[in-house]
Amino acid sequence: MIEVNGLTKRYGDVVAVNDLSFTVPDGLVTGFLGPNGAGKSTTMRMILGLNRPTSGTATVDGRPFTGWRSGLHHVGALLDAGDVHPGRGARAHLSALARTNGLPSRRVGEVLEEVGLTGAARRRVGGFSLGMRQRLGIAAALLGDPPVLLFDEPVNGLDPEGVRWVRGLFRSLAAEGRTVLVSSHLMSEMEHTADRLVVVGRGELIAEETVAEFAARGGRARVTVRAPEAVRLVPFLTAAGAAVDADGPGSLTVTGLPAAEVGELAFRNHIVLHELTAHRASLEEAFMELTADRTQYRAEAAR
Amino acid sequence: MSTAVGRSAPPVTRRYSAADPRVRFRDLVAAEWIKLRSLRSTWWVLGLGVLLLLLAAAQKSIGDYDVWPTFRARERADFDPMSPAFSQMSAVLLVVGSGVVGALTLVGEYATGLVRTTFTAVPARHRVVLAKIAVVTAVMLAVGAFVALSTFAVSQAILSGRGIALSLDDPGVPRVLAANALLAPLAALAGMGIGALLRHTAGTVVAVIGLLVILPMMVKPNVHQWANDLYMCLPFYDWALCLSQRHPRVNPALPTVTVSWLVFAAWAVASAAVAVAVVRRRDV
Repeated sequence: MIEVNGLTKRYGDVVAVNDLSFTVPDGLVTGFLGPNGAGKSTTMRMILGLNRPTSGTATVDGRPFTGWRSGLHHVGALLDAGDVHPGRGARAHLSALARTNGLPSRRVGEVLEEVGLTGAARRRVGGFSLGMRQRLGIAAALLGDPPVLLFDEPVNGLDPEGVRWVRGLFRSLAAEGRTVLVSSHLMSEMEHTADRLVVVGRGELIAEETVAEFAARGGRARVTVRAPEAVRLVPFLTAAGAAVDADGPGSLTVTGLPAAEVGELAFRNHIVLHELTAHRASLEEAFMELTADRTQYRAEAAR
Repeated sequence: MSTAVGRSAPPVTRRYSAADPRVRFRDLVAAEWIKLRSLRSTWWVLGLGVLLLLLAAAQKSIGDYDVWPTFRARERADFDPMSPAFSQMSAVLLVVGSGVVGALTLVGEYATGLVRTTFTAVPARHRVVLAKIAVVTAVMLAVGAFVALSTFAVSQAILSGRGIALSLDDPGVPRVLAANALLAPLAALAGMGIGALLRHTAGTVVAVIGLLVILPMMVKPNVHQWANDLYMCLPFYDWALCLSQRHPRVNPALPTVTVSWLVFAAWAVASAAVAVAVVRRRDV
């Protein structure tokens, strides 16, 4: 379990993380979400004792991470796939890491096998693709068979097969009772992986709840209606309490009224419909809506 | 915090252990040795460096061998058969090479980001740095000793043809050889200390060359004793004016053997202390 309590990190005037508190429980995959620059990586580094918090604490299984003697036995972390020396071979990199924690060298072979890099074990990491480096980073995280795992943007650079593989891996790690924290700036990524979400924006906590709760709170359900006489339908819809946006001639977006009731209204008033589509609230929309005003770097919206 | 979770937690079967075994220092040393030897650049730098130093010793000795018959008595008396084995140029090469190797063991980790992986595996950073110091010191001491002895052997083998060769037990020879050998680990440790402060590859290389070699070669003994005392704090200056001489001149403006050794020791200890302290304190 990871417990983060009132964590704050300031770099001069810039507040990277502001009074952040959340818990990452055992046995579940927790998604750590936020736009670029939200403070996800800084938080992960503070959990690992790499960066010192300005204030607040972070504990791993009840103790600050730096209070443990052997890191690999407690936390496996992939912070950045580039955190390796390009001049070293994959096996040498893992062997040195394993040796620091007194792990037997057969573990190196096992994790290389598990991530599918056995064939590239002797090649220098400098020649690896981003996807291969991600696999190597995951191998390093698995070395010590740790109860807590942290992954920062692990799917970057992976091919579709690799993405499916890591999702399965995270699920099975959690099923073994481990604590798994996976960060991403893409909501769609989390939809298939996470049980719980910790959402941050501009270094502050926005939400901490299950995926289902999160989806429910954010984007509202809406209905798309296409009808030649759409204009006639509008007064009936607003009278029923719906909000209506005209998307163009003969096309409406209705919120606040289920598709069935829109259809019945049209039927009772003899209005022909060409399309009636219900859109469920998606995680993506919930995420965009919640983080819209807390995005640090944003391109000017096209008008 | 929300306690309701989407999936009920599955039956927990912890197949991993929650033990916190002690990280043994000799394992950290072994890991640092794996890191050093698994980089091709280590072997290239050390191999080429040693080869160049041996060639320099041979070339200089052959030169002296050739001109010896033309020397007058006075010149023969002044000639030190120790000098062609390991010239000041050779010392510069050894110091720069060793300093860069030492610096890169630390800066290389920061520059590539490997340091984050390393410190996640071993949260006690100071022990990692101490292991690095142990490995770098041992390896560079071995390299320095090999360079000092092999250049001496090559040079004396050539000079023996003129009957002017020295042997290991001639006065001053063991001390000069020790000083030549110790330049390597000393420079490597200083490089690590500078690297820990700067954490930038190019900047560190420039600083190593400037501080360890260029600056000591620019200053000269003069009439201001305070300046002479200050210059004596530079190990390469002490090496050039004292430790590399079989019979150092005795003059208050010049460093003595004792002072020189003390400066060598102080630099080694201070560099190691800086590396440990800085790495421990700063964010990575």
